[in-house]
Amino acid sequence: MSELYFEDVDFGDDIGPIERVIDVEQVRRFLSVRGETPVDSRFTSDEYAQAEGLAGAIVPGAMNITILSQLLTGWADTVRLKKLDVVFRGMVPHNKPITLSGIVTDKDIVDGEPRLECDVFMQNEEGTRMVIGNAIFTLPQREG
Amino acid sequence: MTTDAGIDYDRSILGKEFPIGTFEVSREMILEFSQATGETNPIYSDEARAAESEYGDIIALPTFCNLFVNGGEKPDIKLEYGDTGFFAGQAIEIVAPIRPGDTVEVTSRLKQVYSKTGRSGKMVFAVWETRFDNQDGETVARVDESYVRRNSGRAS
Repeated sequence: MSELYFEDVDFGDDIGPIERVIDVEQVRRFLSVRGETPVDSRFTSDEYAQAEGLAGAIVPGAMNITILSQLLTGWADTVRLKKLDVVFRGMVPHNKPITLSGIVTDKDIVDGEPRLECDVFMQNEEGTRMVIGNAIFTLPQREG
Repeated sequence: MTTDAGIDYDRSILGKEFPIGTFEVSREMILEFSQATGETNPIYSDEARAAESEYGDIIALPTFCNLFVNGGEKPDIKLEYGDTGFFAGQAIEIVAPIRPGDTVEVTSRLKQVYSKTGRSGKMVFAVWETRFDNQDGETVARVDESYVRRNSGRAS
């Protein structure tokens, strides 16, 4: 992973895209770390999800926001996320490729801190944006 | 402007703070959360490389707070609407790093209840604000969570 500096990033710069596929074992592990009992739910069972009117098992929202945050934390070692605000617009299914991407929308020095803002998206193969949001993060300056 | 007019729920809960719990943050929890979600940034996942960072050690992922916020643990607001509910959105503000060995006290309050009507019909939102304070009384994170209830359209 590369180091990235404030001076390297400008308005309109793309972040990503990166592709992820989440399977049921990853979801089970995430729920287990959260201390949840391993029972069937809309997050782990297609049958359970379908009984709730869903097409199949879905990725928990709390896991989606973490995956989306990794668009930034995985961009460079030097990214420090300060705020992430997302809206869940659609269900994220298991075993389907999802694409994470973003675009830099603002860049400024705020109270002496080099700060950037971006819009972030998680979309499916059809291009439907299932999670949208925005984030604030910092990067170090080359000359402090 | 949003309003909760016409929404049937327990208004006595609105604005009141509820303790969710006090949690010890271990090194293992931080690493397990990172591994379970595929995190690769070394400050969250690699002890040796994190030791060389400005933090001197690993810190928790920005969304680590989600280990301690779970809709089921909050008071029942007795919202009488819809036959299905979903997690609608979340805003996480990281104020200071959460470190191994920290003790985090979690407090939630019902911030807002309101309705909106979209293509799928009326939806009722409940927004909870949760604050995370460490053992020094320092707020390390604030999280707003929105939950929505609506009618699925399925016959009951």
